[in-house]
This record gives sequence, structure tokens and C-alpha cells, in this order.
Amino acid sequence: MTKNLFKPFLISFLAASLFACSESEPERPLGEYEQGILIMNEGAFGVNDGEVFHLNTNTGELKSNVFELENGRPFAGLLQDMILEEERLYLVANTGKVEIVDARDFKSIGSVTGDLDISRSLTVNSGKLFISDYGPYAPDFSTPDSYVAVVNTQNGVLVSKKIPVSRKPEDMIASGKYVLVASSEEGKVEIIDAQTEEIFKTINVEGRPMKFFEANGSIFLYSITSEEVIFYSFHLDNFTLATTNYYPIINATGKIAVSPEGVAYMLTSSGWPDYQDGIAKLALFGPEIDLNWYTGSGFYGIGYDPIAQEIYVSNSNGFQGNGSVTILDKEGTEIRNFEVGRGPSGFLFR
Amino acid sequence: MILFVWVLSLFGFQAEQQDTVRLQEIEVSAPIFKTFGLGKKQLNWDETALENYQSRSLSELLQEKSPLFIRQYGPGMLASPNFRGTSAGHTAIFWNGIPINSPSLGQSDLSIIPLAAPDRIDLIFGSDGALLGNEALGGSILLQSQANFQESPTASISQEVGSFGQSATAFQAGFSGEKLAFQTKIYSQKAENDYTFRDLSLPGTPEKTQTHSAFSQKGIQQDIAWKINPSQRLSTSFWYHLADREIQPPMGSDTQDTQEDQSFRLSLEYLKFWDKSRLEVRSGWVRDDQLFNQSFNQNSSFFLSGDWEGDIGKDWKIRLGTRGSHIQGNLSTYSATDQRLETYQFIRFSGLKNINLSLNLRQLLVEQKWQPLLPSLGMDWILNPTFSLKASIARGLKVPTLNDRFWEPGGNPELLPEESWQGETGLKWKKGSFHSELTFFAMDVENWIIWMPKGAIWSPENIRRVRNTGIEWAGGTEFALGSTGIKIDLAYNYTKAINRSNSKESPTFWNKQLPYTPVHQAQGGVELIQDGYSIRLSSQYIGQRATTLDHSRIMDPYSLYQLHLNYKKLWLGPVQVPISLRIENLFNKSYQVLYLRPMPGRSIHLNFKFQL
Repeated sequence: MTKNLFKPFLISFLAASLFACSESEPERPLGEYEQGILIMNEGAFGVNDGEVFHLNTNTGELKSNVFELENGRPFAGLLQDMILEEERLYLVANTGKVEIVDARDFKSIGSVTGDLDISRSLTVNSGKLFISDYGPYAPDFSTPDSYVAVVNTQNGVLVSKKIPVSRKPEDMIASGKYVLVASSEEGKVEIIDAQTEEIFKTINVEGRPMKFFEANGSIFLYSITSEEVIFYSFHLDNFTLATTNYYPIINATGKIAVSPEGVAYMLTSSGWPDYQDGIAKLALFGPEIDLNWYTGSGFYGIGYDPIAQEIYVSNSNGFQGNGSVTILDKEGTEIRNFEVGRGPSGFLFR
Repeated sequence: MILFVWVLSLFGFQAEQQDTVRLQEIEVSAPIFKTFGLGKKQLNWDETALENYQSRSLSELLQEKSPLFIRQYGPGMLASPNFRGTSAGHTAIFWNGIPINSPSLGQSDLSIIPLAAPDRIDLIFGSDGALLGNEALGGSILLQSQANFQESPTASISQEVGSFGQSATAFQAGFSGEKLAFQTKIYSQKAENDYTFRDLSLPGTPEKTQTHSAFSQKGIQQDIAWKINPSQRLSTSFWYHLADREIQPPMGSDTQDTQEDQSFRLSLEYLKFWDKSRLEVRSGWVRDDQLFNQSFNQNSSFFLSGDWEGDIGKDWKIRLGTRGSHIQGNLSTYSATDQRLETYQFIRFSGLKNINLSLNLRQLLVEQKWQPLLPSLGMDWILNPTFSLKASIARGLKVPTLNDRFWEPGGNPELLPEESWQGETGLKWKKGSFHSELTFFAMDVENWIIWMPKGAIWSPENIRRVRNTGIEWAGGTEFALGSTGIKIDLAYNYTKAINRSNSKESPTFWNKQLPYTPVHQAQGGVELIQDGYSIRLSSQYIGQRATTLDHSRIMDPYSLYQLHLNYKKLWLGPVQVPISLRIENLFNKSYQVLYLRPMPGRSIHLNFKFQL
């Protein structure tokens, strides 16, 4: 199984095709959260008020704090990532837990609440969960004991093994029986054999590898430096680098959204003290590049809606309260702005 | 060593003491806020009132007995005051006249100010930069300790044990001869804080036991006063305090942070009296060491001030003074110094029938930069034997902290000071055993500093404009029913702290009550006293609080109850043994002061004191 930014769309499409072709199958009403957009709100450090909002794109209704609403208890964590796999939605908290809910109704179906530290992302392979984790902070705030935790069931519960990896593992993607891990601090991609639960191979890359995605039938890796961004693709038969492309986009933050056509939208930030944020845009399979496609401040997350072909950019509003989301069309014109949860950092389009 | 000196003093001077005809104590005029802080609401607790709180912290006293809202992260954890809807950094805190707020943080943690140390606590409400100086925007807390002349030797040791692994030991002894007076206080407090709570972060919200919130504190305070001659006195106090804490994580986190705070505080005061005037020279040194995990931060401050106060004719009293401060911060990311010089002039006029007026001015110079002039004007008007009226207007100022200006990265040296203007008026009524005080205040705070993320770096900016308005009422009575004395006290606060529009925050944050600032608060207590026994039932109500500026989450109000039982007539020979039993959170209420920070349920505490 694989994970990417527009995979939910593909799943929805496939599911729709399946139902369309199988007249004998009884029709199942769509769950409330099977349609629309899930907005991931990270929450504020030390407050643990991460949550998920849901935007019904048919009615325009925005439902807040969906996890708490459907489960009668707060999420109580900093929401780092949100992964959809086979109708299960995995909510990864960097405060050291994973909540697993039914993606149709958001009811809790499991969790991993022990033996994790600073969890970053998750993927499913061979019926197991693989959770990237910085590991505990050392006294100097380094993370020398980063790992990928293995959980032997898809409904969570206990960590059975921790596979040591390079410092600060971030995103992961599954390919066949392998799991690719982007270890951001040491510039490595570590490939884990999901069955033996061992590192099978390590690939050195430049910059800080942040995000995997699929496009044009290949797996791509997005890596950043202060002066440029780099896109790698891989030969999946022997896990070697296939292509490496450099683009002169400075101050990229690592947040990226990619359209099904291979147009990448990347958040940039000059950081302190000027603090000019922006979105750079480029075509992965063409010559177009726009370094300052959209500018502003306070940008914290980005997503691409493959159905409406719109770009969603979120603003943290300084974490003093709820953040907001601005919807842009393909020309960068603002369509709509609305308030969401605290620290909005990502989107899942269904 | 100090204890040794005290023991020598006690036994060495005991015989002499008993044969000595005591000298009349030097006439010491009222503290400046009594003389010149007219038109302001004030509250105080003297040694007797603090007796039942010796095993507890300033944060607990203020939660139970004052209208302040205390933002508390857990029992024994960080606790900061919210005075009239302002932030923790808008409260000035003094010990023996010396500012003790951390110069790098601009605030104090009230959980690590144990009440075993001070003899008296005063609260001054509202802005008064002219009278009290930097940081007095929302209010001020003044702690006082001193060795007293004319007292019989005193010695006591108390031991308390309570639920959740709590224990506290306090030793106090005092002695005075003709020329010298000593007071020593040694204390130790600790708690495992292994209370149970429902963990909302876990499926099924199971009951869990708190495992990382233990703390221990200990310290010693030595007060010495020397009556040089009938017109001169020298007094000094030294206070050492050490606190070790496991930092309780919020629900959903399993962090294992630890923090050690160590404070050294020294005050030295010289007083010279003439017939109608006096000279005060005061010096102080404060050093705070903090070790958070492996990160070490140290602040030290040195103060020197000189004041002259005198009567001009029969109607005027004037005080002139100046103070210099040298502050050094050695933080984990920067080192910085700060030099400050301030002058102040206070005038009190009593020439009108039943009306007293005060006019105070202060000018502060920080790193050779003049700060805005701070004035205050106050009036107390005794309308008749039953009613009195008070009114005041004052400006407050807070210089940006060392962290605000110098933290690496993100510190902003261009920050402006936070400023406030406040007006208040109040009516006091007292008839027989009944009393009531109603106060209205309105305050504007400008240039409110907020740390904002700028990419991965957080940096402070002057962002907010806040309007605080409110009503504070307190009343009570004391009477007897047969042989039973009855005391009743009640209080209610209405506080609006509204974030006004500004160009740097989302409009969804405008015109909203500030987070963690309850609009409604109330408290009350009933005490029955008979033949050495006393029983007091008290309660506090804290209204709804928003967790963020947009009010997307509102926390439930809660009421807490405490029961105090005391018996003071048990004697073992010459030793008095007061016994007290205290039940906190009497009805075992599950509550959070701050979101996902569970507080303990019912706890029982038994205290014995052996008192000479």
C-alpha cells in the first residue's frame, strides 16, 4: 500500500467505480466523513488541543472537533499526521500516540498509546503499522535514538519492535513489501523490509528529505535545503535513485501539495526576522516554475483539492486561537477564507 | 550557621531578657502604600491570618482567599496570578521592598513562594507604577518579614502530613533583646502528587495515577534587626529557597521534564528618624538559578535606594526617593545586563475635612532611555462614620523583560514598554459588625507583548490593546450566638478583559474576553468558633474560561470547598499544641484549571504544631 497526497481521491474514485460496476452489491450509505475535506489542526505546544475539522463540500458545512464529537473525549495530543488506509484513519500525535478511527464515522477502533515518543508519520505494510518517531530528546535536544516502531495489527495496541533509523525520520511510503523512510536530519532514505522488520538498504540524498508522493507512476521524494529544493525519484525494483532535479526555490519549509498532473505547490518562509511567507509553484513534468506564485505571512499548511482543482493554504494566526484556511484557484486568486482549528497544518481530500 | 547564631542568641540572652524592661519600640510609620496609595483597593493577611497556611504556597492562599484567578498547571506546578484580567507579567511582587519577579521572565511562580517565610502579605489592586514601579499594571503583591522587638521569645515547630504523599515541616523561632531582634524560619515541604484522575487522552478514559508531578521545597529565612539607638535601626533579612519539581505533563503527553529553582534573596534596610521626618536606605540582592532539564538560567539583581519622608506643616507629607538597579541575566541562549535608575516623589495632603489626597510621580530610566512619566492621583473620603469613598487614577508600565529583548533567536530589542491607565472608585460601608466594599475599575493596557511564530522562530511584538473593566465586591460580618462566635465572609468579582481590535491579529480575536480570564468569580466562608475549637467551611466559584482568544473551547465552571477544623487549647505543660485538620476539595470534584491539566480530588491534611 502507498500513501500520497491525492491517494484518498484515487481511493474514492476506485470505490465509486467499483460500486458503479457492481449492481448486485447492496448500496451502503456514505459515512458522514467519507466525502469532503478533513482538516488537520496540529494544536498548540503544551496544550495538546490538536483536532480534526470536516468540511462537507456538498453543503458547505464545517464541523469542528470531529474526534471529540464522535468519541466523547478530546484528541488530547499534537496532531502531526493523518493517514488514510483501507477505511481506517490513523491520527498520529507527536506527543506519542496514534488514534485509529473508522474513516467513515470517526468512531475509535484502536490506538497505540504506549512506548512512543515523538511520532511523526505512519504507513501500513504487510498488515503491520510502521510509525516513524524521533525518539526521546537527549539533554541537548538532539534525537540520537530515532526509530520506526512496528505494531503487528492494523488496529494498533502495542509496539512490538523499534527499528533504529537515522535522526529525525519524517514521512514514509510503502512500496511492495518495503517501507521507505525519509530521515530528515541526516539526509537518508532508509528502506525497511516490512516482513523481516530490518533495514534493507540506505540511500543518501541531499538536503533534508521531507515528503514522499506518487506522480506519473513513480515515487518521488521532496527534499529541501536553504537554497534549493530537490525532487528525487526511485527505481523501485532495486531501490536506486532514478532522477534528481534541482530547483532554485529558497527557504522552503518542507510543506508541499502536488496535483494529479504533477504541479507542486511548496510553502516558503524567509523566517525570522523578515518573515515573508509564500508559495512557489513548479511543474514536475514541464518547464513552468513560479518562485513567488502567492505571498503572505503565517502560512502553516497546504493542500490540493483534486476534485475542485483548488489550493488550500492554512494560516496559524500565531497559535493565539483558531487558524484559518484560504482557498485559491489555479491562478492564485482567493476564493474563500474560513476559520478552522488551532494550528491548521494539513488536509485530506476525499 | 544562622541557626547556631539564633540558638546562641536565644540561650545567651534569655536570662537578660526576663529582667529587662522593654524599650518602647521605635515608631515606624505605615508602609508607603498605606500612606500614599490612596483610593486603591487593598487586602492583607497578617501573621495570625497566615497561621493556617504555613504549610502551603502563596498560590493556594490567593486561590482560596483573594479575588485573583490563579492559572495553575497542577498542584505545586507553575502558578501565575491574573489580577483584574491582566497577565502574569503584569503583577509586581516584592519581598521586604525588593522586586523579586524574574527579570528574564518578568513574573514569579507563586507555587514556589511558600507561606512559611513571610510574616505579612499585602495585595494592592490595579495599576500604580508611580507608587510601586515597574510591572504594577494589574496589581502588586508585597511580602514582608522582619524580626520584631518587644516580643517574648517564640519557638514553634509544626508537622503536617496529608494525602498524596504530602508533608510539611516548619520551624520558627524569634527573640529580641534591647538592641537585637532575631527571627529564624526553616521549612521543608514535599508531595508525591500521586493522585488519580480520569485520563481523557486514552480510549475508555481510564482512571490513572499521576506519576510525574512530585515536588519538594525547602528553605531558610533569617531576619535580624539592630536598634542602633532610639533614632536609628538597621535590619536585614536573608531568604534561601530550593525547589525541585517533576513537571507534570498535560493529559496526552508523557514528558519527563524536571526543574530545579534556587533563590537567594538578601535585604538590608537602614532607618534614621527625626521628629518629623525619616531617612530610609535600602539595598537588596536577588539571585535566581533555574535548571530546566539540562538548561541552566541565572538572573541576579542588585538594588540600592534612598528615601526621605517628612511632614511639611500639619497637612502635607512628602516622600522623595531614588533607586538604582543592576540586573544581570545569564541565560541558556544569551547574557545581558540592564541598568535602571528611577526617581519618585509622593505627596499626601490631609488639609481637607475628612478627605485625604495623594499625588505620586515616578520617572524611570532604563539603559539611558527615559520611560514615560508615571503619575497617580488618589483620594480617600470619609463621608460619615458608616460610609467612605475612594477614587484613584494611575498609570502603570512594564519594561520588556530580558527574554523579550535578548532571547536568541527571536528577542526584539525594539519593543516598547507595556503601558496601562487605570481608574477605580469604591465605596466602603461599615456598621456594627457588618462591612462591605464595592469597587469599580476600568483599565486600558496598550502595547501588550505577545510572542508570535515567525516561521520556526518565535518573537515578541507589541500587539494587543486590552480594555479591562470590572466590579469587585466583598462583605462580611462577625457576631456571637451564645458562646459561639460566627464569622461570615463573601466576595464576588465581575471581570471583563476585552482584546480590542489591532492590525496584527485575526479579526476573529477582536472584542473577545482574554483566555483563562473568568468573567465571574465568587468566594465565601463561614466559621464557627467556640472554646478553642473552630470550624470553617469555605468555597470558591470559578466561572467559564475560554482556552483561546476565539473562544472555540470553553471550560466548565467549577466550585471547590474546603473544611478547616482547629483546636488551639491543647497544652503539654508549657507547650501549646494547636491541631488542625484540613480537607481540600471536600466533595471530590473533578476539575481542571487549565485545559487537560487534571487537579487532585479530595485530600486530607493533619497538622500538629508545638509552640512555646
